[in-house]
Amino acid sequence: MDPASNMLSIQNLCIYKNESHLFTLDTSVLAGEILTIMGPSGSGKSTLLSWLSGMLDPAFTAEGKLLLGGQDISQTPSHLRRIALLFQDPLLFNHLTVSGNIEFGMQASKSNSKKQRISKALASVDLSGMETRAPKSLSGGQQARVALLRVLLNEPRVILLDEPFSKLDSQLRQATRELVFEQIRQRGLTAILVTHDQSDADAAAGKVINLSNTRSA
Amino acid sequence: MPIIKNKPFRLRRWLIWTLLLLCPFINAQTLSEKTAWQQTLQDARDNSVYFYAWGGDPQVNRYLQWVTKRVDNKYGINLEHVKLAQTSDAVSRVLAERSAGNTSAGQVDLLWINGLNFATMATNKLLEANWVSNLPNFALTNPDQNPAMTMDFGMPTNGMEAPWGRAALTFYYNSASISTPPTTLQQLLTWSELNPGRFTYAKPPDFLGLSFLKYALIILNQQQDVSIYEQLYIAPTAQSERQLLSSLWTFLDKLHPHLWRQGRYFVNDGTSIRRLVGDSELDLGFTFSASDIPGAVDRFDLPLSIRSYAMKDGSLSNVHFVTIPVNAKHKAGAKVVANFLMSIEAQAKKQQPSNWGDRTVVDLSLLAPDKQLMFSSLQQHPSALPELDTSPSLSEPHPQWSAVISKEWEKRYGAKQ
Amino acid sequence: MIVDTSLFTRWVKFSPSILITLLIVPVVAGLLGVILPAFGWLPALGEETVGLRGFEALFATPGFVKMLALSFSTSFVSTFFAVLLSILILGNYFNSKLLGHIQRLLGPILVIPHAAAAIAIGFLIAPSGLIMRLFSPWLSGAELPPDILLPNDPCGFSIILGLTLKELPFILLIAMAAMQQKEIKQAIEGQYKVALSLGYYPFTSFCKAVLPILYPFIRLPIYAILAYSSASIEIPLILGPNTPPTLAVAIMQWFNDVDLHLRIQASAGALVQIMLTLCVLFTWWLLEQCVKRFCLSSLINGRRTYADITWKFLTHCITLLVLFAIVLALIGLVIWSFAGYWSFPKAYPDQLVTLHWQSALQQLPETIGDTILVALAATGIALFLALFTLEAEQQRRTQLSSVASLMIYLPLLVPSIAFLFGIVWVKEIIGVNAVFSMVVLGHLLFVMPYVFLSLATSYRKLDLRYANVAASLGRSPWSVFYSVKLPQLMPPILFSSALGLAISFSQYLPTLLLGGGRINTLTTEAVAIASGASRRISAVYVIIQLLLPAFGFILAWLIPKLFFRPRY
Repeated sequence: MDPASNMLSIQNLCIYKNESHLFTLDTSVLAGEILTIMGPSGSGKSTLLSWLSGMLDPAFTAEGKLLLGGQDISQTPSHLRRIALLFQDPLLFNHLTVSGNIEFGMQASKSNSKKQRISKALASVDLSGMETRAPKSLSGGQQARVALLRVLLNEPRVILLDEPFSKLDSQLRQATRELVFEQIRQRGLTAILVTHDQSDADAAAGKVINLSNTRSA
Repeated sequence: MPIIKNKPFRLRRWLIWTLLLLCPFINAQTLSEKTAWQQTLQDARDNSVYFYAWGGDPQVNRYLQWVTKRVDNKYGINLEHVKLAQTSDAVSRVLAERSAGNTSAGQVDLLWINGLNFATMATNKLLEANWVSNLPNFALTNPDQNPAMTMDFGMPTNGMEAPWGRAALTFYYNSASISTPPTTLQQLLTWSELNPGRFTYAKPPDFLGLSFLKYALIILNQQQDVSIYEQLYIAPTAQSERQLLSSLWTFLDKLHPHLWRQGRYFVNDGTSIRRLVGDSELDLGFTFSASDIPGAVDRFDLPLSIRSYAMKDGSLSNVHFVTIPVNAKHKAGAKVVANFLMSIEAQAKKQQPSNWGDRTVVDLSLLAPDKQLMFSSLQQHPSALPELDTSPSLSEPHPQWSAVISKEWEKRYGAKQ
Repeated sequence: MIVDTSLFTRWVKFSPSILITLLIVPVVAGLLGVILPAFGWLPALGEETVGLRGFEALFATPGFVKMLALSFSTSFVSTFFAVLLSILILGNYFNSKLLGHIQRLLGPILVIPHAAAAIAIGFLIAPSGLIMRLFSPWLSGAELPPDILLPNDPCGFSIILGLTLKELPFILLIAMAAMQQKEIKQAIEGQYKVALSLGYYPFTSFCKAVLPILYPFIRLPIYAILAYSSASIEIPLILGPNTPPTLAVAIMQWFNDVDLHLRIQASAGALVQIMLTLCVLFTWWLLEQCVKRFCLSSLINGRRTYADITWKFLTHCITLLVLFAIVLALIGLVIWSFAGYWSFPKAYPDQLVTLHWQSALQQLPETIGDTILVALAATGIALFLALFTLEAEQQRRTQLSSVASLMIYLPLLVPSIAFLFGIVWVKEIIGVNAVFSMVVLGHLLFVMPYVFLSLATSYRKLDLRYANVAASLGRSPWSVFYSVKLPQLMPPILFSSALGLAISFSQYLPTLLLGGGRINTLTTEAVAIASGASRRISAVYVIIQLLLPAFGFILAWLIPKLFFRPRY
């Protein structure tokens, strides 16, 4: 996969909250790379992700351009951007089974191959045989992995991670983190990670930007 | 010679003494009548009388507000007008009370009524009997000379109803759209064929709708043999139904396709007809209270070009009454109010078109000329029915004919689309 | 848990039972008062042989099957449209500010009495109504009103229109209230974002991700609407056909008929009405099951859009149309109330007069006084019982059982025509003559569910830690209730009061039947005037019917701002 085709470029982004300036950012991320965003609470990390996915809250205003693979997608609606989100909470659909959740994320195609790919994917994260389980019956760590699969099998171009490991205990955290980063690198996805944890940033081994340092005077 | 001279004088003296001796008895009788009425007046003081009367006409409601003030001033009675959407609501109420054993604390004290409603209540023994002749003002209606005062749709009232006013079927049209309105039933049919969708009547069992159908029934059967025609004024039998109703259905079958909404829908309420004329959906309407029309024009519900008239072949007429249920709580007060409603003051005020315009039941020939003047209208409204109205009066058929017409109409035209 | 046995706690303990009794007993008594005559037992008329002749007469009524079909179809179709439109509006305006605006605009329709809404719609769509006048003669070429059968059309489209317009704001309001609850809000917004980010178009995201979570919350209101509309009277009476009318209207006409023997047939009809309502509810349940079975697979078929753009456009059009129709109806009412003679096809009256307002206001003060008094009494009692019952829930640490909750909605689910006549019969037998109390009780039956529902959500959200802190500081339960819980609940209490008042203002049958005509409220007067012939006076009454509840809500919004500002 040509790394440039998934290059995410943030150009001169200024975010304002109710007239007061929050931060400014100008950077780019290549495919297979993970950009880590850090900063204290209220510095606007989640707001950045909202802007990137096209779901900026009306209380904020933004100026700046977003380019993906050279194309300007600043005005593209959220559902057409091919930018996937992974939150702290797995947010699995309770009215669907585990395999239903994963299938939800997949593109429309013939169902036979879908089921096979889901089984393979579940096996790869140690969740084989869980296809028909209800999400509520899974542990936090298991739900997080299913959420990850849902996003990955969606084959997005960019993946945004909003502190996805913060609710997991330390052992699970490390294992899940390794899994996620490996998948990102393998599939050549562009990723932006928002986190509090320095060890996450270290493991990401990419550029680190601290938003509190990007306020203009 | 002295004996012969004295004879006539002695005869006269004897007569005079007899009369003088009888006087106390005569006076005692009228005295006792007076005392009974005085007693009623006394019992009535401070009564709260609940008068259940149709509330759909603002003019009637305003007139009753005036009555309320007057009976308060004169008799100390607190009259409450309970507005009904239809009289049968009150009939149901009295029935419900009686069926539950309520014999002296009924909520309905006085009820505005006639026709089928009266027949139902009388048959079910729901009405106070023989009280009307005790009311002083009843004599004003001259009941001996005016049999209509003691007959309700052909049924004798038996002292259960006090006459209140008269009504006759009156037609009205928009003179801006029609220059010569139909003046007989046949002309109405021809006119409808030429002007489809501009006339309609209300669906039975609405009172006004039934009145139109009864008018048609009477006119259509006038050519029949008297012995058959007479059957309209007694209870219907299977035979008389067949003989008399068939011409009505033939007529309606011819009329319906040319009616408003092609006869596929009939308004529930006769009063809606006036609204439809006002909305220009109809050109021709009819009503039972001719006074309705000038009042409606003054209230802008009808255009100034409206004119009222009575059909040349006859107008269905009736008298409407007030009655007291047998379980009423405030009978004395109700009687006093009923008496007041028949008084010269109240009847004259009622007849004035600006108040209500309802025709009086008082026999004007009994009154002194200055009192008679109180009844003539001060100013003729251009939309009002002309005073010199020569339309023949058609009496109401027996009340059960209404039920029969309703049922058969429902069968023929009721559930079809 | 140890609870103090003061007077307050004892009152509170019995409140749930009092509440349920007060709601169930009249309904059950009323049903009995209809079941007996239905099988032929009506001693007052000398009918003492139990049998099926009431049902025989009922089935022999011409057009009986049509009546049933009309009642069934109008209620099912109107509810279906209302739910469909709600989904369209909620889904297409999901995250936009427009949703709040639409809710505010449509909200007031909730409290319009059904009779008023029917009259207003009639003014609008009649061939001589406002819409035709606006387009005549330049567009339609009509110099006279066309002879088209609308409203009162035989298929009931006018009824469906009226019912849909009245039901739509109700469903929207319940749905939006559910969406505002914190846990639900978070879940829904999160799921929606996930679906969007996975490439699903906005409306499809709503339908596939949000709707399955939301639907259980609007289920009970939908059933309540189905039950009500299958037996509603005011709208079918004014806008519906009469050859034959709907079943409920026919029953009411039979009960009121001068021929008193029709009451047996009417009672039989009331029982059939209950069966009809159950059928409608069952059919909707079947629909739910079908949708669940057949649509579950489509949830995960991966299709991202179902012509979303078309749906969005359609929703814009429909919303605009609905809002336009409502605004037009209101304008029409106001103009009619000031109209002199208004000839067709003019779009404006020949002259404007204040005569109608003057004559109405002369006759109204006592009526308005009675209306407000009854409403205050019924709402006051409802508030009192609701608050104490909810307090009992917290003191017992258990929520009301679902059976008890269902009982609260009983008066809304059982067709009122079925039990109100029975209550009158029972009332006469017992010999109760206190007219005012009976009317208040009648109103209470219908006010209670709404007041309870709107208070319950707020009461149950109360942070109990405040109460616990206060208790640990030595405050009695009454003091905790009075000084800690009530102030926190002031805005919801005021809102519930306004809602209760509005519901009471709009009651027609209970006032008419239980008051015996002695108590005249604004709504009974309006229907009586509507049976007369003055459109203009009707318009005045309808406008006042709209203003009265609006006034209540304005007060509810204003009072906290004026009296409960936080003190610094």
